[in-house]
Amino acid sequence: MVRVKNKKISTSKSGVAVAKRRFVLGVTIPLLLYLSVSIFVIGWAFLLIFFEYSPTRRGGPFLGLGGSNPFVGLGNFVEMVKGTSIETRLFRTSLKNTLIFAFVVLPLNLAITLPLAWLLESIGQRFKTMFRTIYFIPALMSSVGVALIWMSLYHPQYGWLNQIIRSFGGTPKAWLSDPTAGFMGVPIPMWAVILTYLWQDYGFNLVIFIAALQGIPKMLKEAAMVDGANRWQTFSKIMVPLIRPALLFVCVMTMLSSFQVFDIIQVMTEGGPGYQTQVLVLDIYKNAFRYYRMGWAAAESFVLVLIVMSVTIFQMRVLRTKWEY
Amino acid sequence: MEISTLSKATTSELTKPRRSSLKIGQGLIYFILIAGLSFTLLPGLMMILSSFKTNLELLHIPPTFWPEKPTLQNYIKILSDPKLPLMRFYGNSVFVAFFNVTSTLFTSSLIGYMFAKFEFPCKRILFGLFMTMMMIPMQITMIPNYLILAKIGLINSLWGLIVFSALDPFGIFLMRQFCETIPNDLMDAARIDGASEWRIYWKIVIPQLGAPLATLGILSFMFNWNSYLWPMIVLQKVEVRTLPVILTWFNTAHAGQTAIVMAATVLIVIPILIVFVYFQKWIVQGFTTTGLK
Repeated sequence: MVRVKNKKISTSKSGVAVAKRRFVLGVTIPLLLYLSVSIFVIGWAFLLIFFEYSPTRRGGPFLGLGGSNPFVGLGNFVEMVKGTSIETRLFRTSLKNTLIFAFVVLPLNLAITLPLAWLLESIGQRFKTMFRTIYFIPALMSSVGVALIWMSLYHPQYGWLNQIIRSFGGTPKAWLSDPTAGFMGVPIPMWAVILTYLWQDYGFNLVIFIAALQGIPKMLKEAAMVDGANRWQTFSKIMVPLIRPALLFVCVMTMLSSFQVFDIIQVMTEGGPGYQTQVLVLDIYKNAFRYYRMGWAAAESFVLVLIVMSVTIFQMRVLRTKWEY
Repeated sequence: MEISTLSKATTSELTKPRRSSLKIGQGLIYFILIAGLSFTLLPGLMMILSSFKTNLELLHIPPTFWPEKPTLQNYIKILSDPKLPLMRFYGNSVFVAFFNVTSTLFTSSLIGYMFAKFEFPCKRILFGLFMTMMMIPMQITMIPNYLILAKIGLINSLWGLIVFSALDPFGIFLMRQFCETIPNDLMDAARIDGASEWRIYWKIVIPQLGAPLATLGILSFMFNWNSYLWPMIVLQKVEVRTLPVILTWFNTAHAGQTAIVMAATVLIVIPILIVFVYFQKWIVQGFTTTGLK
């Protein structure tokens, strides 16, 4: 009786192994197919950077490369550094603008979200949830919608912003279209899109910081208070170092997304006035899908990825933490 | 003994003056928070108020705050436009979001489950490959993807937004994390009862993944609903566009008619706000645990 039962279980066990193998095969085979398509796509993108490729020309037999879409080797990258044509200069302008954008956005974002999260920490739970909810709403909105709202706010004649300025006796400005105005070396239209971007983006980081601050044990704060630290010291010496993982995460994510900024700028300025807000992804988009210079655009996006990756690695090195609490 | 009384005295002395400064501090905190709140709310409020004004009123200098004669005219106009009814674009957006969210949920849970609970050769390499792909931004792949769509004739088709979104490496990663927490006994018990592997996935694993699936589904919905660059590349004809793409087109087509554009913006933002109000807990949790933007 016992033997029979054992036998039954053991046969069903090998049956289970077969069934498991079948299941794994059933999932992995489509998966591998998909993966090979993705690798093909990435490989194709990588090949493109060595060609002067345009889909409007009929090129060689393999992916339309070669023939009238000639192989230029590293020519695209040499052009980026040395070229004098309009598109190479435009690339350098957009690279510069992207760097300005990202390096202005990050510190401003942290300067808003970190203190705000800390202030939210010190008020009652019910209010905290309410504030957090409202602060988070812009982060959910379609960036196209956000761009349209801010365009209307920035409107030189009918916008609310100029109205506020007028009521304080200031001079109204054409925020998005005045190419001559600047502040701290950055053109005003760039500041205008940066402000819009911050408005949409900061709720996201805020939520992460709130969650991180909540994770800090209360006794650490209290210990600092008892030792005579004031609020600012507790914040800068205790809280900030303790939320370093969250800080790292926020820095990396904010950098990544601001290097890839596109929607807001495309809708609000299309890179204008006079290419003052032309950023890298916008330049890539225009080159690839308006002028069909796809080889060039692929090379540009390759540069973008290199920058993004090196910034990420750098930030991970700098902000890495060694302790736990 | 002496030391302890001394320290007690100093702490009470230290805390006393702090109490009153705490009161002032608290007031200041609320002041800053409310200032931030108005910075956040004002643009949204302007959008809503403008959408109830007439275009003529929007050209007032100085601009009015409350609408003088609130009107629904703008909403009626966009919703009943005979050539381009907004409903069609809602339909397009819902279609794409539905397919992409469903397929993301299905593939992520299935593949994540497999990576968490099954042993097979090259598992780690395969998983590593996936995670590497997650790092590659879409700006790299959009050019070849576009060329592929052009080859197979899916430009100007909503399916063009769907074919490349079947798998979401991030979703797979998330689901694998959660599947690892499911006790093996649950699955083994079902196996002894003779359930097939697919049945186990469907009847045992999926119900265990309720919360993370909800989070992933909402994040994926929001991503699809707001997505702009890729739909703009794929959908070049006006009639097939999704909401964000048609919104910019609206803006140029109705240049100077800000009231109409604002009404359209309100209608596009509303579904997201409804989703947010209902699923707030999961969304916030999802953003903080995953960091998906």
